[in-house]
Amino acid sequence: MKLDCKHIWRELSNYLEGDIPDEVRREVEAHVAQCRHCAALLDSTHNVLVLVADERRLELPLGFNARLRARLEREMAVSGPE
Amino acid sequence: MRASVPAMLEPAALKKQKETGLIESVLAGRHEDFHELIAPYRRGVYLTAYDILQVEADAEEVAQEAFLKAFRALRGFRRESQFSTWLFRIVINEARMRLRRRREVPLESVFPGEDEDGDYAPTMLADWREIPSDALLREETRRLVRESIAELPEMYREVLTLRDVNGKNIAETSEILGITIGNTKVRLLRARLMLRDIFVERTRRKPRRQPSEGVSP
Repeated sequence: MKLDCKHIWRELSNYLEGDIPDEVRREVEAHVAQCRHCAALLDSTHNVLVLVADERRLELPLGFNARLRARLEREMAVSGPE
Repeated sequence: MRASVPAMLEPAALKKQKETGLIESVLAGRHEDFHELIAPYRRGVYLTAYDILQVEADAEEVAQEAFLKAFRALRGFRRESQFSTWLFRIVINEARMRLRRRREVPLESVFPGEDEDGDYAPTMLADWREIPSDALLREETRRLVRESIAELPEMYREVLTLRDVNGKNIAETSEILGITIGNTKVRLLRARLMLRDIFVERTRRKPRRQPSEGVSP
């Protein structure tokens, strides 16, 4: 079965996850090789997700850990887990 | 019984063993061990709260609340799920409550439910080019990403934050959100396509040049 663009969109996320049966993966790749719209969609979504993953490196606010520790210690001083 | 355990599994198993030990220690009265228990999750918890709330001060407060709640409720933690799954569920709930207080009408009510099988169709742009990868490192781009995430409806922001920002796998993401794996995948697909659309739209709106007359070279 040949996949149309709409099917590609539906499979895009699974494709990027690598969570896709081989047969469907090959269909997606065959489609993308001849459809520049879907190729661009796949590339750009992938690029955006690379940027999103970069958010992981966001710095914690200065003093975050110390403030958290202080707040927890205030709680620990008066009570423990219920 | 298998003769050898794959090497990759060992760190996870060790981590779990260490966590279990710390939990028992906290429950036995050594409260200070809670700091060590949560140390690996401070950043992830804050990031999750931040991505959902988009305000630093709120995110910090919600992160603190979540850790406090986890401390108080530690005895109720059921060992069949991972500690981090349980912890992230608390954070998500705290962040949701904070959002509810901020606004009465949830944004996602204008979007179709994921059980309706309503496909999300990505925008067809006149200049349907890929987002240039040389832009990836620019600070401006990072700001745009942040703003684009902020524009996502809450349910999509949650799933994207857990899976794509925090790197949780699909199974853990679905467990944290309390939805099926199938629904998690559908939600994630929409979140990603929507995010891409918002990002592309914002990139085009940037005042690098005047809005074009719709003619591509």
